[in-house]
Amino acid sequence: MVMADGATGPDPVGPAPAVRPFLVTAGRVADDGSGRALPLETQVVATAEGLAVLAGLSFERYDIVDACRLPQSLAELAARLRLHLNVVRVLAEDLREAGQLAVYVPDAGASRDASVLRRLIDGLKAVPDSRGVPSDTD
Amino acid sequence: MTPTEPLVRGSAAPAAVRPPLPVKMVVAGGFGVGKTTAVGSISEIEPLTTEASITEVAAGVDDLTHTPRKTTTTVAMDFGCLTIDPTLKLYLFGTPGQERFGFMWDDIVEGAVGGLVIVDTRRLDDCYAAVDHFEHRDIPFAVAVNAFDGRVEHTLDEVRWALDVPDGVPVVVFDARDRGSVRDALLVVLELALARTEL
Repeated sequence: MVMADGATGPDPVGPAPAVRPFLVTAGRVADDGSGRALPLETQVVATAEGLAVLAGLSFERYDIVDACRLPQSLAELAARLRLHLNVVRVLAEDLREAGQLAVYVPDAGASRDASVLRRLIDGLKAVPDSRGVPSDTD
Repeated sequence: MTPTEPLVRGSAAPAAVRPPLPVKMVVAGGFGVGKTTAVGSISEIEPLTTEASITEVAAGVDDLTHTPRKTTTTVAMDFGCLTIDPTLKLYLFGTPGQERFGFMWDDIVEGAVGGLVIVDTRRLDDCYAAVDHFEHRDIPFAVAVNAFDGRVEHTLDEVRWALDVPDGVPVVVFDARDRGSVRDALLVVLELALARTEL
């Protein structure tokens, strides 16, 4: 497969899945024209109910709820489960409707919120460089 | 600011852990300029790869209708993340380089706090599309010249001239392999985004 940087590297997703994405989602697509698809960074976490019925879930639904014991983004989930992003989007919506997954759609205004930006800047400045020196000590 | 309330139907309570507010930055540029290297230098996890769909707009010169023909392409996208604190997490998405004119990565850049366009001065034209896209979408961005082997083939003024970036767009030199260098380049973008909120 072609990597993001254009290099042809070892295939990180293993053999091509035998089942096409539209079969996993019963023919539905993530962006069906009714609204915006869930952003890549949307956070998802299993609900108590989802974990309670985990043993009864099958295949991808089981994998998603099981992987979401800790919150993570849709992008991380897709990468870790080796599923197409749009498959994860559709299944996450299903699991949300079933009450088995909490879906936190990010606030669209956060990226232009000065307080959020200041926290990001302060947090990033505290990241040490390769020699262990944070940015705000120089 | 906290994420919106979870969309949970019925009485089901979310598990105990409340997720952080995710904030996204986009690392763009042509093939092989060091996007994945830069993401890996600052990410707290090994960069992950997922398949995403991008919509490409084929700009046909002989198309008199000026109606762009859109096609959807599945591409591999590398990304990483950095936990700022338990309530805030930065995601870095490396967008696949595309040489085609006029493509869109709305799926990736929607809601992004800013972008970093990585440039290899030996192949400047590889990054035009990324520069155009951030300009068009009015997303704060900086141009970061990746100093391969510690050398840069052109001065920053030459790069600025060649790319025709507006004066308000910072152009910096950085080393995609060096965490502190990547951190400082991202800080340039964030300071720019912050300055915009104060206009």
